[in-house]
Amino acid sequence: MREKRNLGELFAGFTGLAFTLLLSFGLVIGLIFILSRAPGRTIYYFFVGAFTNKYYLGNMLNVAVPLIFTGLGISVAFKSSVFNLGGEGQIYAGGLAATAVCLALPAANGFLGGLTALAGAVVLSGGIAGLSGFFRMKWNTDEMISSFLLSSAVVLVVNYFITGPLDDPKNNLLATLAIGPQYGLMRIFPPSKLNVSAFFALAAALLVFLFMYRSHAGYEMRMCGLNREFSRYGGINVSKYLVLPMIMSGALHGLGGGLMVLGTYGATIEGYSFGMGWNGIAVALIAKNNPLGVIPAAFLFAYLDAGAKAAMLNSDVTFEIAAIAQSFIFYFVTAQALYGLARKRRRA
Amino acid sequence: MPYLEMKGISKLYPNDLLANDAIDFSVEKNEIHAIVGENGAGKTTLMKILYGLEQPDAGSILLGGNPVTIRSPLDARRLGIGMVHQHFKLIPEFSVAENVVLGIEPRKNLLFVDRNAAAERISEVITSHGFSIDPRARVLNLTVGQMQQVEIVKMLYRKADLLILDEPTSVLTEQEIRKLFETLRSLQKNGKTCIIITHKLQEVMEISDRVTVMRKGKVVAVRQTAEVDKAELSRLMVGKSVLFQFERAKKACGDPVLELVDVSLKQRGRDRALLDGINLTVRSCEIVGVAGVSGNGLGELEDVVAGLRRITGGRILHNGEDIAGLSPATLRERGFAYVPADRLRRGSSLQSTVTENMIVTSHHRFLRAGFLKGGKIQQFAERLTKSFSIDGGPRAPVGTLSGGNIQKVILARELASASNLVIVSEPTWGLDVASSQFVYEKILEMRKAGAGILFISSNLDEILGIADTIAVMYRGRVVAFLPNVPDLSKERIGEYMLGLRDDFAPEGPQRKGPQP
Repeated sequence: MREKRNLGELFAGFTGLAFTLLLSFGLVIGLIFILSRAPGRTIYYFFVGAFTNKYYLGNMLNVAVPLIFTGLGISVAFKSSVFNLGGEGQIYAGGLAATAVCLALPAANGFLGGLTALAGAVVLSGGIAGLSGFFRMKWNTDEMISSFLLSSAVVLVVNYFITGPLDDPKNNLLATLAIGPQYGLMRIFPPSKLNVSAFFALAAALLVFLFMYRSHAGYEMRMCGLNREFSRYGGINVSKYLVLPMIMSGALHGLGGGLMVLGTYGATIEGYSFGMGWNGIAVALIAKNNPLGVIPAAFLFAYLDAGAKAAMLNSDVTFEIAAIAQSFIFYFVTAQALYGLARKRRRA
Repeated sequence: MPYLEMKGISKLYPNDLLANDAIDFSVEKNEIHAIVGENGAGKTTLMKILYGLEQPDAGSILLGGNPVTIRSPLDARRLGIGMVHQHFKLIPEFSVAENVVLGIEPRKNLLFVDRNAAAERISEVITSHGFSIDPRARVLNLTVGQMQQVEIVKMLYRKADLLILDEPTSVLTEQEIRKLFETLRSLQKNGKTCIIITHKLQEVMEISDRVTVMRKGKVVAVRQTAEVDKAELSRLMVGKSVLFQFERAKKACGDPVLELVDVSLKQRGRDRALLDGINLTVRSCEIVGVAGVSGNGLGELEDVVAGLRRITGGRILHNGEDIAGLSPATLRERGFAYVPADRLRRGSSLQSTVTENMIVTSHHRFLRAGFLKGGKIQQFAERLTKSFSIDGGPRAPVGTLSGGNIQKVILARELASASNLVIVSEPTWGLDVASSQFVYEKILEMRKAGAGILFISSNLDEILGIADTIAVMYRGRVVAFLPNVPDLSKERIGEYMLGLRDDFAPEGPQRKGPQP
């Protein structure tokens, strides 16, 4: 009985992940053989393409940056057993808030103005997510549902601002006016779009880790996440920790969105963060909600993304085929992470 | 030949609790058979085995003389065995009829539920057994007694011949109990066989033909109900042996630490109060043992004193000040220590380490600028694991420890800081002799240090062994408050516990009659 359980845990652990990756890579290769007329070339670009030049490599790393933020945001919430499914709206709104602040301060100093813009992103997205936490505390509304619904509405509101009040009339893109050049973050790996926000992401992961595992509030939050009854019994203010993790989760999403605008796009483009919120959940699942584990998990996702793009540009596969191959791996890895989670649930 | 025979049934739970120990149990066709016993005697386990919810480690079951294997409730139902659980398994939003046919709905055109056919067939069952429920009523609008009827109808609709009722009267009012007994008699007339689990002797005498008494996982007696009286049953249930006896408090007890004044707890939608005018005093240097059978308010008493549930009437005083409504954190600051009965969910966080469990009540003392002082915490945890000799060390997840060690972690944490009031509930439940002994010693140490101790337990032996004063609870009331003198017998306490005696009965024998 006990033997079996240990083996199960092993499967759900690192070896399991490696096995799952190999299996899904194998299937993707099989798929490419069926669908591509130049399978060798496609496979090469799919798996190695991201490393063939500085441009691909840098862009791959740049895609990982927002994923680290959304992954961290989800980890913080899940670790506390509150469920934030509103990541899509929160990261999107973060970008808009940063853009709006920059546009409102056209002549500000780049550093201070940039900080203000990011603060705006943090406050707006943290507030949106915190609202769901507050509803949960006040009326026991399911935060999973309310954050999702709220996020769906927020996406539409952001779209309104992009195409309405903040629209750039001189541009055919569905995008806001461009922010001042002084706000642009320093590119660190030209010609790619990789910029200093990558360092922010790494620092954020470290800070979140220290907060969760070393700080007073982090301890209380984790205890509430593992066993709310025990926490209440021990004298922890459990209702506070229905709201705080949601605020933090939203703030991290907002920060991710804000940095994407400052570092990569220079404006809020419609749908610029599409999918980032959902992928953040998958990233957190693979990382088992460990803030440091989020970094490699985000890179794995960025790698798959870059591979699909490279294969598309350099071989005969269409966007759809690349997406299918990518989602193959995506589903396998997520299923495996969920399986581990379900086992843990059942025993708890 | 008996209708049902269970032979040599044994069941060992993973926490080394031998719930059933080579039990022989038999029921005759068409009888009402009562199983009585204290908490943890193994009654429910035995019935769960019969209903396929648990698998026995040894033993066999014969139904109508044929050996049967019951792997799931589905098997049981196929064999005509039905069980009405203590907590009803109904869907409140569904109608009575929908609940009854759930899973075996009559179909119309192979696809749609035939509501009319369902209601008709159920009406037959309802009228033929004299129930008083409308098949079209929604379950959420029913009284508790009616919900129980729905459960019984559910069984009858599934053509059950043997009905198991697990403590069916515990949630009912007097009137509803009468109605239930009428139903049981009518079922008997219709050729059904009933097994009823209870620990209320009055009901055993009233309704059953035969009674099996269980104690500590064994059958200790099987009697024709007509040939026993309540006193004998009570003796058989609680047993005789007092295994241990600790010293009583030497010092005279000091000032009251905890006073409960007319404390009551009512739940919306329930007629009967969970706590009904409790008066209780715990003084410093005194262990007040609260005895009672589960379901009589022990758990609720624990919750309200610990500040985890709000009382609906009366006052709770700590050192003379009203503490009702204060948060658990504030109570701890005032010097409360609390070892809960539910040690796996409330008392510990199984996935966290021993260290993390130990600091939950005191982590605010290890702070520097919002961060925890890792070194200090480690020292603290190491000191406690050593002095309480906890196996596994400070870094082990608590869930990997044995039951005894988990309880030690909780005790270590609760007794680490000086406290003036210690609440302990079922502190030795499921523990072996050595671990229990350790728990008692620690509690006696706390008394010596001057704390008042509220010792809630359904284990009568340990109450008699350790308490200075004994309170007995029955149906949410304190029915006895006695000094634990040597000639206070276990039998006498047992009679209080089972409702045969009441020192504080208000005028009239039927104290809590049904509302007119």
